[in-house]
Amino acid sequence: MSLLKLQNVSKVYQQGQIQVQALKDIQLEVQEGEFLALVGPSGSGKTTLLNIIGGLDDSSTGSVILNNIELTCLKESELSDFRLFQLGFIFQAYNLVPVLSALENVELVTLLQGRPAKECRERAEHYLNLVGLKAMKDRRPSALSGGQQQRVAVARALAAEPRLVLADEPTANLDSENATALLDIMHRLSHEEKTTFIFSTHDQRVMERAERIVSLRDGQIYQDQVKGE
Amino acid sequence: MSAVFARLNMLMFIAWRNVWRNPIRSVLTVSALAGGVIMLILYYSLMAGISQQMIRFATEISTGRIQIQRQAFIQDQDLYATIPWQYLTQLEQQNPSLQFAPRLYAAALASHQESSTGVQIMAVDSQRERPVTKLLTHVRQGQMNLEQGIEQDGMTYAPVVLGYQLARNMGVTLGDELVLVSQAADGSIGNDLFRVAGILKPINPTFDRMGVLMSIESYKALMYLETGIHEIIVNFEIEPLQTSNSEDWLSTIQQQLMTQITAQEQAQPLDKLGGKVQVRNWREVSPSLSQMLALSHSMMLMTGVVVMSLASLGMLNTMLMAVHERRQEFAILRAIGMKRRWLLLMVSLESLFLALISAVMGSLLGTWMSLRFEHQGIDFSASMPDGYDWAGMVFEPVMHGLLLPEHIYQSCLMMLVISMLASLFPAWLSTRHRPAESMR
Repeated sequence: MSLLKLQNVSKVYQQGQIQVQALKDIQLEVQEGEFLALVGPSGSGKTTLLNIIGGLDDSSTGSVILNNIELTCLKESELSDFRLFQLGFIFQAYNLVPVLSALENVELVTLLQGRPAKECRERAEHYLNLVGLKAMKDRRPSALSGGQQQRVAVARALAAEPRLVLADEPTANLDSENATALLDIMHRLSHEEKTTFIFSTHDQRVMERAERIVSLRDGQIYQDQVKGE
Repeated sequence: MSAVFARLNMLMFIAWRNVWRNPIRSVLTVSALAGGVIMLILYYSLMAGISQQMIRFATEISTGRIQIQRQAFIQDQDLYATIPWQYLTQLEQQNPSLQFAPRLYAAALASHQESSTGVQIMAVDSQRERPVTKLLTHVRQGQMNLEQGIEQDGMTYAPVVLGYQLARNMGVTLGDELVLVSQAADGSIGNDLFRVAGILKPINPTFDRMGVLMSIESYKALMYLETGIHEIIVNFEIEPLQTSNSEDWLSTIQQQLMTQITAQEQAQPLDKLGGKVQVRNWREVSPSLSQMLALSHSMMLMTGVVVMSLASLGMLNTMLMAVHERRQEFAILRAIGMKRRWLLLMVSLESLFLALISAVMGSLLGTWMSLRFEHQGIDFSASMPDGYDWAGMVFEPVMHGLLLPEHIYQSCLMMLVISMLASLFPAWLSTRHRPAESMR
């Protein structure tokens, strides 16, 4: 079943007098439960594409349909609700709220969703346990390593029970060991929680774990490869 | 509903933690705002103390709370515009809770040795004056027994008490002779020899420079005026500033006296030349004092706005810095689904917490300092033993504050409103950044 459908998506940035074509005629369809990697060199349009899918940026042309909802038709407030209930985000850096502990960071999204406080606390503890950080739940981000912070971000993304998790180069700041561990967790949870993951990377180790690899170059998809096909 | 509270609780929790994210900056901001509150409380208390002193001076020492005079006396100081003594007796009988003091006035020429000057005679009945005003206790030198003659060189002289400036200008000291010459009520030249029994403390610039105080008997002997009195001073026990309904009370008594006098005028008609009897409160008697008090209220408000606006620049700066530094964090929060209005609320809550801490600190310190100021006062008596006069008002040499509860909550409220207004722009700014741009 198709979860995400991108049709003729283009993005043009205005940089002073110059127009930069970040994305050009992107056609992409993602099925529910996929573990998909967007790959390509820097400047190929990976982050821009993720931002457009996540409703953080507008496309210049084309349509983005996620879970049968056309994102370009949504108002600002509806987009916030959409991100809150349908999407999970993991960023390369600045991922967590520094004044909150690991547990509170995970709780935050569910509290914003309006769930009862008790349920939020239980869910946060459950997901921290899933990423192996229950013992560090009271630590603030500054007391966690980069890999641990990313795992908290994964727990936060999944605690909201999203249909789709978008991860923008989640392993870029991690060493090999931590990167591998994080990917294993994401991959496992993708299957356990039946959540679709789309992540951007140019890390070869990450690509090896992806079930589908969409390659971008100069803002265009030039290869869409499903492993095993 | 519980979910809304849980969300609000979370936003408050984050906001509180953010306040202490940069403790030095927060402490500096709180210091600036609390300093503003302290200054305002001290300033308000000082102004209230000065206002109370001005009103007390006016109502307790010379003017009284209410004055009763004939229209012609008010307009022209007409010697013949008198109120019959029976009016006073009847008012005293009708209003046992009020105190009344009769007064008589005349212009005269005073001479002592080579010096002579125009003076204003004020005659009082010591027995009735004492419960009404503190005029007779406001003496700097000598004694105030106006009814007891001074024995000197085998003669008995009627005593007079002078304004301190007049005594200084004429070079008169206690026991000196003073000749007063005036046109008496019967048209003859009234003159008599008096002895200076006392010198008053400052009362008001005019009386200090021209005032001669004597008994009503002495006045009658000098001026041959037996028909009545020029002025009745009325007083009663209330604190002018601390009693919120004091103005209503004043107005009620004024109205009551007017009704009684109108009835008396019908029963015992007065001559037409002197005009009707007027009952005026101290605000009407001293419009300049009343205007000055109104002006001081406007000044207090304006000063409050200026002081708090300056202090709130600290808040504006802090919040602008905080919002600028946390652009990426706000972008993350927006990305995970935080609505703009929640973000606005969260940043506003940070400002509110800073303002509330400042309000608590400022009001505690401001109250403590104001209470000390109220009890100990600022003593200028070394440089100004007689106090000083400004715009016709006399100020005591020891300046006391007067702290009222409204000084505290008005200062805090003003700071909260202005600082929250100052923080609106940074809070609004925090919601305007586009998440994708902020994270680049």
